[in-house]
Amino acid sequence: MELNDASISRRNLLRGAATAALLLPFGATLASCAAPSGGGGGGDKPAGEVSADNPFGVAANSKVDAVIFDGGYGIDYVETSAKIMQGNKNLDGVSVKVASSTKIAQELQPRFVGGNPPDLIDNSGANSIGWNTILDQLETLDDVLDSNNLEGTKISDTLFGGVKAPGTFDGRFVALNYVMTVYGIWYSSSLFEENGWDVPKSWQDLKALGEKAKAKGKYLFLWGKEAATYYQTMVVDSAVIQAGDDVRIPLENLDAKAWSHPAIQGILEILHDLIASGYVKPGGGGTQFTQAQAQWSLDQEALLYPSGSWIENEMKKTTKDDFKMKGFPELPLDTSQTTPAGTMRAEAGEPFIVPKKAKNVAGGKELLRTMLSKESATAFAKNKLAPTIVKDTVPADGFGSTALVSQSEMLASAGENVFTIKSFNLYGMNSDQLPIWNSFLDGKMTVAEITKQLQGLTDKVREDSSVTKIEIK
Amino acid sequence: MSYSTVSGGPGLETAAVTAVQAGRRKPSRLGRHRKLTFDYVSFLLVFLGLPLAIFLIFVISPFVQALYYAMTNWTGFSDAMDFIGIDNFVKLFNDPIFLQAMMNNIVLAIIVPLVTIVIALVFASMITVGGPSSGQVRGLQASSFYRVISFFPYVIPAIVIAILWNMIYTPSGGLLNGILGLIGVQDQPSWLGDERTAMGATIFVIVWSMVGFYMILFIAAIKGIPSETLEAARIDGAGRFRTVTSILLPQMRDNVQTAYIYLGIMALDAFVYMVGLNSTGGPGNSTLVMSQYLFRTAFEKGQFGLATAMGVVLAVITLLFAALVIGVFRLIGGKDEGGRA
Repeated sequence: MELNDASISRRNLLRGAATAALLLPFGATLASCAAPSGGGGGGDKPAGEVSADNPFGVAANSKVDAVIFDGGYGIDYVETSAKIMQGNKNLDGVSVKVASSTKIAQELQPRFVGGNPPDLIDNSGANSIGWNTILDQLETLDDVLDSNNLEGTKISDTLFGGVKAPGTFDGRFVALNYVMTVYGIWYSSSLFEENGWDVPKSWQDLKALGEKAKAKGKYLFLWGKEAATYYQTMVVDSAVIQAGDDVRIPLENLDAKAWSHPAIQGILEILHDLIASGYVKPGGGGTQFTQAQAQWSLDQEALLYPSGSWIENEMKKTTKDDFKMKGFPELPLDTSQTTPAGTMRAEAGEPFIVPKKAKNVAGGKELLRTMLSKESATAFAKNKLAPTIVKDTVPADGFGSTALVSQSEMLASAGENVFTIKSFNLYGMNSDQLPIWNSFLDGKMTVAEITKQLQGLTDKVREDSSVTKIEIK
Repeated sequence: MSYSTVSGGPGLETAAVTAVQAGRRKPSRLGRHRKLTFDYVSFLLVFLGLPLAIFLIFVISPFVQALYYAMTNWTGFSDAMDFIGIDNFVKLFNDPIFLQAMMNNIVLAIIVPLVTIVIALVFASMITVGGPSSGQVRGLQASSFYRVISFFPYVIPAIVIAILWNMIYTPSGGLLNGILGLIGVQDQPSWLGDERTAMGATIFVIVWSMVGFYMILFIAAIKGIPSETLEAARIDGAGRFRTVTSILLPQMRDNVQTAYIYLGIMALDAFVYMVGLNSTGGPGNSTLVMSQYLFRTAFEKGQFGLATAMGVVLAVITLLFAALVIGVFRLIGGKDEGGRA
């Protein structure tokens, strides 16, 4: 499976790079393959008349080509919006093709090089395209937020706060993240009630909870090998909640002392103590992550699991019947947190991009505008049990989901006090961090060692002159 | 041969040389005076030009391009790139993770072929000559049954094998630790999750999947040895072990050498097994291999230039490996050849 993809990509890469001279004898058939020297695309874009109902001037009878990451949320939500767009009387016969992909980077790489990228891409998943490689090839999307939605309200007025932040690089807003993701620690409220346990308020409370769990033959945490860095997310987010930008800014900008901040160190010490005390289920480094997650949601072997809010949808079929899933924001180190109460990491995920060289830029933007309509956004929230960046699409009962309700509560109590961490994904550091975290969670590393190794990775990226750095504020 | 004999007069050797020269001259007349007919030109085009062009376009030119890209800072997603000389290679050999991946590959290239070939040889000998020591030389009873059984793993695609063993190795609920639990082992390892066991567990899977095929290969080689030789050895009083080391092995040296190179190349790649068993590179990168790191660098970090440099390093190591194996086998076999001649 993997090898197949790899060889196809390599072939595309190499073939795509064949020089014109070598292609000559084979005529036009091979010449149509992507070649770095070949421009193509851009230039002569079909243009329609710009009007209030067609703000980007989508040409009549034009085609829109969308490639959507087929992950936790599937692609049907874009297909739903595509149907709405095709039925839009103001657009005069536009047709939309929605294709799915699980390997965005590998599949689209030749199209980017060949100057023939799709009109709309959901650049998400483990194999997404690294941002710093394509930023200058992307359209800014401010005009999408400035336009009116299908219901006639200005789109930027309908969105949650801070939704532009994760898609803004070097001051250019190029990626519209569609799904609101809340990072927290998830648990079964029914299990906690049954045993009379309290939800922890800071890292200081975790050890006592771990003891209680052990008394019941359970663990406090568990992990799976592909998701070991969820614990990194928890540690880093917790430290930011404790000490604010003092932690976040150095980490985001690859500072030489980023990992030595006392808040991070204090939290790592406690986590190390929890591991050493046997409150973290051993063997996660050899367990596939969804299996590990099922040990939490189905077998209830551990009380808590740190994750993004996709966890409910991801484990839908392997969650115990009376598991009333709820979440709380990641925890400050102690009671002296410097950020306002309720501060949490929440960011819009599933970044949608429109490449500059796409054949139908206006069509790509129009599809985004359709997705941001109340109709499309409400359908998404209902089907996926996750809120989009469009406000007020989740009713008070959360369509019957306790996790969705607790997400809405967390977002409400955080208000504007939300933050995101971008640099790890921006520089593609996750896969290098994974083995380190697998070792640490397995109890094979001291706090000093993990600090040194994580700092080493940060330093490597900072000192690599071939990597374009982006200042994060 | 020596020219002095040519000038010295007509000897046996000169006669031979002249004959050869004459033989060479004869067909050349055909070539020189041949008319460029349509048949002839189209024949040349189709059977020489076309394969050559395909070879140049799809084999040689990618090699050359790869070399070029390895010396650029291409990100892979734009048409812009700068030539940066050997910077990428310098960076690679200062990158501890890449060096670790390279070491893992080298460990694989040494151990996997050795273990696989030894086991395959043992099985092949048992099936062909391991039978009763009286009567005709033959294998164990029901040997054809074992032959079919041991070929099974090879029929399964590598990625399926990797996922299968991933499940078997799962620390809680996996088959292996389940069996260990049944026989009362308390301290169960997490196999792929522990730096001490991850590489060993991975090598076991690769060997397990490969043994069947190489066993079949060796059986075929052994069947090619005349049974008279084997029977003569037995009459001379050679036991089964002596028969294998003194009769079988020397006569199938070429097969073993080929098997060694094939297995080594596979171990230097090992991408599918590694991704299926430990997509993260294992605890502390203990099972990370170059091809995995290459893939990651290209598609996750967007450093295609650097990734291509890794590919070039991998190719060079593979060539060196093949040369080394051929050299070693020539060294071992040298005495035999000298003796025979």
